[in-house]
Amino acid sequence: MWLPVIFLIVGVTIGLLTDFRIPDEYANYLSIAVLAAFDTLFGGIRAQLEKKFDDVVFLTGFFSNVILAAFLAFLGVQLGIDLYLAAVFAFGVRIFQNIAIIRRYLLDEKIISRKQKKISQK
Amino acid sequence: MKVMKNQTKWIISVIFGVVGFMIAIQFQTANSEPELRDTRDQWEIRQELQKQQKIQQELLQKISKTDRTLEDYKETSDVKKKKTLQNTIEQLEKKAGLTDLAGSGIKITLEPIFQELEDSAAVYPALSPELLARLINELNTYGAEGIAIENERLISLSPIRNVNGQVYVNNRPLKSLPVEIYVIAHNPKKLLDYVQASPTRDFFAMESIGLTAELSRSITLPKYDDPLNLEEIRVHTSQETGEA
Repeated sequence: MWLPVIFLIVGVTIGLLTDFRIPDEYANYLSIAVLAAFDTLFGGIRAQLEKKFDDVVFLTGFFSNVILAAFLAFLGVQLGIDLYLAAVFAFGVRIFQNIAIIRRYLLDEKIISRKQKKISQK
Repeated sequence: MKVMKNQTKWIISVIFGVVGFMIAIQFQTANSEPELRDTRDQWEIRQELQKQQKIQQELLQKISKTDRTLEDYKETSDVKKKKTLQNTIEQLEKKAGLTDLAGSGIKITLEPIFQELEDSAAVYPALSPELLARLINELNTYGAEGIAIENERLISLSPIRNVNGQVYVNNRPLKSLPVEIYVIAHNPKKLLDYVQASPTRDFFAMESIGLTAELSRSITLPKYDDPLNLEEIRVHTSQETGEA
């Protein structure tokens, strides 16, 4: 459980320490890729809570989402349409939905456990 | 999470790490606005300070001079008032170029450069008004107090135009090359140095016109003799800014 968090912190630290910067032209792609990564992470957590987690789905989902989002942004630049807004919108909505579902699961678990405690106390 | 296999755990952890890395880079890229720093060293700042102090001094001098004139006006005696008024008119006329001006300055000669051309006949180079206007602008920038092209005194209203292929200064045609330009300056040596080093020389050379400048101890500029056409000029009511 703690391993992913540790790795997240390690990743952030490495990123900050390397002082690596993306040129301005490619900043769009990275931002959308980050959004896709967030989406996949929350999706994974939700699936875990729903006990439907599958590591192959998670892995392929992560990479395909990131690549697709970057490709969409690239296509948008080539066509002169702000297509990356579509990706931002889609990912944004999904992140909100996933977080809402995660919150409900956690709340439900707490409420259920409290009720069970009360019942057992009686 | 306890049900997770060991391998799955590691894969997820690595992905978390990648995501963290991406976030960190994104964060850095978003916050990497080039900061504007004052890179001047002490010496440059001192020079800047000196420059500003000099400007301040000049402004103060101007203010005190104007104050003195104002005081003279306020004097009760009519004779003195009249004298002051006359002085002011003289000063303004001198400034506007309506009086003869004598002093030391430089003499610029524009003359044709003939190049040996094998197949075509040599073309006599012609002066263009743009080139001449550029030179005049440059001379004014470098601190000329009065300029005359041949016998035409230039004032702030003097037009330099192309009329039917000929250059007109003050609405009178300028003779063909060579042309002499007389400039009076506060510091002729410096003005000469500026002209010698100016890129305008090259622009003249491109048109096959040679520019030679020399110091001249005594130059007399004729006064501007035509009526001043001020019909289109309106009083500027908004607050003035900057140097007069």
